Amino acid sequence: MPFDAMAEMSDETLLVLFANGDGAAARALNLRLTPRVMGHAYRLLGNHAEAEDVTQEAMLRLWKIAPEWRQDEAKVTTWLYRVVANLCIDLRRRARGVALESIPEPEDGRATAAEILQDAARAEALQEALDQLPDRQRQAVVLRHIEGLANPEIAEIMEITTEAVESLTARGKRALTAALSGRQEELGYGDER
Amino acid sequence: MAMSDRDDMSGLEVFFDAARAHAAEPSVALMARIEADAQAVAAQTSAPPRPRRASLSSQLYRLLGGWPAVTGLATAAMAGVWLGISLPEGMLDGANESAYLIDVAPELAFDLAGGNF
Repeated sequence: MPFDAMAEMSDETLLVLFANGDGAAARALNLRLTPRVMGHAYRLLGNHAEAEDVTQEAMLRLWKIAPEWRQDEAKVTTWLYRVVANLCIDLRRRARGVALESIPEPEDGRATAAEILQDAARAEALQEALDQLPDRQRQAVVLRHIEGLANPEIAEIMEITTEAVESLTARGKRALTAALSGRQEELGYGDER
Repeated sequence: MAMSDRDDMSGLEVFFDAARAHAAEPSVALMARIEADAQAVAAQTSAPPRPRRASLSSQLYRLLGGWPAVTGLATAAMAGVWLGISLPEGMLDGANESAYLIDVAPELAFDLAGGNF
């Protein structure tokens, strides 16, 4: 099948095509899903190299599960978000058990904030604040407010109720607001309220 | 909830917008590794299964000539068993012993009876 014809196809259809031996479907899925998986893994981990490892592992699991995939079962992205979150949580638990002291302190952005774009500084500040949240709060906030998913889909990914999702995102946002409130002036946060 | 969603979002939305605009992107090397993984998994799952070595019984079955020959053999074997366990009454009933006894050396029998060695 021509590669261009795959642009309109759903992730689920492409996965079935891949399982049937279509190499172009794998390329299309790689281009479409890997950036999303990588972005999500980075937001949950705050570490580029670890996020790459998690992304490769999550995609490998997707290739392996392809022959057993049932189109009516779930969305590929829902499945991937769940796999990524589980891999990230496992990684963070292992890292916590190994050496807390070895984790570098977040860089003080005050000295460099004037030199870099304000928007990038905000993204970086948010990532630092996200890193301080408990795993489940971080996951819920990222899925809701950065990935832009609806609460029922987040509930499916996290295997909890929508009420629990709302509670996690509310607590997460309160913690983020508290963490970022001290950096309002530096990041131009007060100007846009 | 103490604060409404609107209140919560009043300041955070600019950070979320910034995070969306500055998403971490996969390197070219990572994309290549993932592509290679896909090809490796596809090659594994689409490889034809290795022919299994036939068992001894199936080799013997083929050696004998398949099902027609084995069916004939089984029938002959069962008939043999049946003949072996059933008494041959029909063959003996009312028959004269001399009809099926053949004396291959009558002179010898006479000599024995007469005691003339």
